[in-house]
Amino acid sequence: MFNRICLASGLWILTAAASLASPVTVVAKGADGRVLSGAVVSITVAGAPRPQPRGTYTMSQQNIAFAPHVLIVPVGATVSFPNRDRVRHHAYSFSPAKRFELKLYGRDETKSVTFDRPGVAAIGCNIHDAMSAFVFVTTTPFVAITDGSGRVVIDGVPPGQVSLALWHPSIRAPNNSVSRPAIVAAGGLATEIAPAR
Amino acid sequence: MTFSKFRPTQLRTRMAALYAGLFILGFVVVAIVAQVMIEGQARRSVTAEMVTSGTVYDRIWALREQSLTGTSDVLARDFGFRSAVASGDQLTILSALETLKARAKVPVAAVVGLDGSVTGATGPLAQAMAQLPFQLADGRRDAVIGLGGDTYRLVSSPVLAPTEIGWVVFAVRLDAGEMRSLEKLSAIPMVATILQRSPAGHWQSADGVVPPTSDIDTLVSSSRVSRVISTIDVGGKEFYALARPLAGPQGEAQAVMLLRYSTSLALAPFRPIQFGILLAGLIVLALVILGSLRLAGAIARPITALQRAAQALEEGNRTEVDVIGTDEIGQLADSFNRMSAGIVERESRITHLAFHDQLTDLPNRAFFRQSLDEKLSRLTRTGEQLAVLYLDLDGFKSVNDTLGHPVGDALLRSVAKVLLGLTPDGLVARLGGDEFAIILSSGFEKDRPRALAQSIIDALVEPMLVDGLCIPTGASLGIAIGPDDGANSVQLLKNADLALYRAKQDGRGVFHFFEASLDQAARERRQIELDLRSALKTGQFELNYQPIFDLNAHRIGCFEALIRWNHPVRGPISPVDFIPVAEDTGLIVAIGEWVLHEACRQAATWPGHVRVAINVSALQFRHPGFAATVMQVLARSGLQPNRLEIEITESVFLDGDGPVMALLQKLRSLGVRIALDDFGTGYSSLSYLRSFAFDKIKIDKSFVDTIVGDASASAIVSAIVVLATALKMETTAEGVEDALQLAELRDKGCSSIQGYYYSRPVNGAAAFEMISDPNFAAAAA
Repeated sequence: MFNRICLASGLWILTAAASLASPVTVVAKGADGRVLSGAVVSITVAGAPRPQPRGTYTMSQQNIAFAPHVLIVPVGATVSFPNRDRVRHHAYSFSPAKRFELKLYGRDETKSVTFDRPGVAAIGCNIHDAMSAFVFVTTTPFVAITDGSGRVVIDGVPPGQVSLALWHPSIRAPNNSVSRPAIVAAGGLATEIAPAR
Repeated sequence: MTFSKFRPTQLRTRMAALYAGLFILGFVVVAIVAQVMIEGQARRSVTAEMVTSGTVYDRIWALREQSLTGTSDVLARDFGFRSAVASGDQLTILSALETLKARAKVPVAAVVGLDGSVTGATGPLAQAMAQLPFQLADGRRDAVIGLGGDTYRLVSSPVLAPTEIGWVVFAVRLDAGEMRSLEKLSAIPMVATILQRSPAGHWQSADGVVPPTSDIDTLVSSSRVSRVISTIDVGGKEFYALARPLAGPQGEAQAVMLLRYSTSLALAPFRPIQFGILLAGLIVLALVILGSLRLAGAIARPITALQRAAQALEEGNRTEVDVIGTDEIGQLADSFNRMSAGIVERESRITHLAFHDQLTDLPNRAFFRQSLDEKLSRLTRTGEQLAVLYLDLDGFKSVNDTLGHPVGDALLRSVAKVLLGLTPDGLVARLGGDEFAIILSSGFEKDRPRALAQSIIDALVEPMLVDGLCIPTGASLGIAIGPDDGANSVQLLKNADLALYRAKQDGRGVFHFFEASLDQAARERRQIELDLRSALKTGQFELNYQPIFDLNAHRIGCFEALIRWNHPVRGPISPVDFIPVAEDTGLIVAIGEWVLHEACRQAATWPGHVRVAINVSALQFRHPGFAATVMQVLARSGLQPNRLEIEITESVFLDGDGPVMALLQKLRSLGVRIALDDFGTGYSSLSYLRSFAFDKIKIDKSFVDTIVGDASASAIVSAIVVLATALKMETTAEGVEDALQLAELRDKGCSSIQGYYYSRPVNGAAAFEMISDPNFAAAAA
């Protein structure tokens, strides 16, 4: 929730910058045709300003799980990994976007990692295999996570040629991501995106 | 004989074979049922074992997967390894894989990246390994692939960081060694073989041990649905088999694991049972055969004895069978013995009856003839003699006629006793009727036949007391001596009979030895007999008439008809010669009839005072039809009955006078005259004269011959004449030959004479002339 607010406030800034742009609505679907919730839809617009990190980003470990599961941060953002469990955790990432290892830290210890490259960092716990999370490091401000019905609504996208991308761990493609070009009209865009079958 | 010996053995064998056959049949049925049940049981048992083993294999298979995946998981989860994979650190990955291969004893291990890159393997296998993670359905970790002639089991483990960044893939070659190690884990000695589908679509092992067959194809295809156990043929041996399709990467099986179990091995535990059944069957069979032979022997042995005894009986020998036990065979033997005894007894009775006379129990004619032949044949060797005495009772027929057959039979029995008593040294037989015969065989004294004959005659001359009746008997005997009088029984007996005949002719109550002349006489008699028969038919007989001169009327009062036989060859034959033959043969009846007819026909032509006298023999007289013949003759000739004079002799009374008297009275009633001929000779009895009033008495020629010189003869003639006169009977003297005799007779009061002095017998024509010739009358005077 906290993350959402942070992200929302960032988006609000963007929206204010490109005022009066139409909303883009995207429904994400998996390879099997079913709606994909928890996926990240991003729209890259050429010439758009990069988002800047603001405030702190947190990926906490609580109840033997990372929270949130997917965290979107702008490039250069520093994310703290507070351990709120009574057990120790060993968070790591081998992803090219950010390699790091937070070795065996205990309760209420907080370690921070700065994500300085765009991409997705798959984060696991070397002690608890079941724990996983993703830090989506983005260079575009037009990015959002699909809701339960696989839908996102992104405001403020300037009309014109854009690149529409979908990321989800289940997508079997390089970087678990598919993208395609799209044109955003003055009145906005309503479209679907899905990996090739 | 060999056949009869073989038969009981055959019976034994047949019984033994029957029982053994039945047992074998039963045993075969039981054995087949047992075999089927054992087979079924074995099959169920093996099937159950194989199902169990199949399940065990499944478990082993799964355990192996767990083991492999566990091993690969260990690697895939290793932080350093994941780090190496994530960072694409090839050297580290390869070294880690080497360590893993050595630790887990896995020949091939590789890491497959998300992009399909393979680290740690090369060649076709690497390609197959690279495809595996992308082909496997979710949740599946392993698959079996066929690659050329080899089969590999591939196991994959994902490398998570924490998302999949690649896969650790192991390849285990399913070779013979792998199969052996699998087999070792099974409870039963099954053989595991990997089958691959050939290009032609048939399942077969790569090494050729299991060639492709339709049975296996069927088994594999049906095993996809459910576990099936079937029987297949591999290398000429039979196996129970089940197939286990090994899932390929995409589900479709590229290889099949065939588990087979040799049926002979499977059934081996049941062999002892089968062998035991067979062995027990053979032992019981031997016992059955032995028992059957023993039982059959116990039955057959007495039957053999009975069969031999029956054969002996059939050949006429008296046999007995030892009776053993009281069962049916014992009873049969008992019955057989009784039957045998009965047959022998009846046979001897029949033999006795055949050779003995029932009335007197003396040997009969057949036995006599047989004995005589035997004794005669013995004589030809020893040179000795034997005697046959042929005996005939005198007057036996009248005993039967007057006193009845029971008395006659009793008399014969008494005579038999007498003969047996007198002849301890000979064979006494009854030849039939009142004829007996005796054989005196070798070693008798020369005088013995004569002495025996005489003693018999002496013994039988006495009247015999039979059934309280005193019966006068008497016997005549003929004796023949063999072999002089006959070399065989027929000849000897015939000659003895001839001698007997001669004895009878000699006047009964005597015996006579056979002489050759008797035989000659007998031949002549036989010839006469034959000639007599034709003589009557061809009219060789004629009648002569001798006048009887009536001394009171001084004329011919009567002619006596006398038969003459003019034999065409031998000339005239005397009645003395042929009448006895005619009497013996019964021809006398026919001849006498002819005489009656002829004489009466002739007499009817004579003057009324001339009668005709006709001699009637005793045999003719007693003939039942005699009275009727007389009536017929009288009717046909028309002769006055009182002109016919029947002359009879006293012999007609010999066989009883009752019927004779009745006949005489009957003739008398017809008016026929009766004369008593030859009076004074034989058994002349005055009682005849008293019982019947004869019309005439004829004085025998023997008295007339000596009437002149012999005082006693003269006295007898006188007495006869006086007696006849007193009884109002006429007298005729026969055989008057000269005047002196005539004078004497006339002087004594004789009423008529007959003889040469007056006339010889003359023929019919002469007789007719004589009646009317006065000279004859003068001559008599």
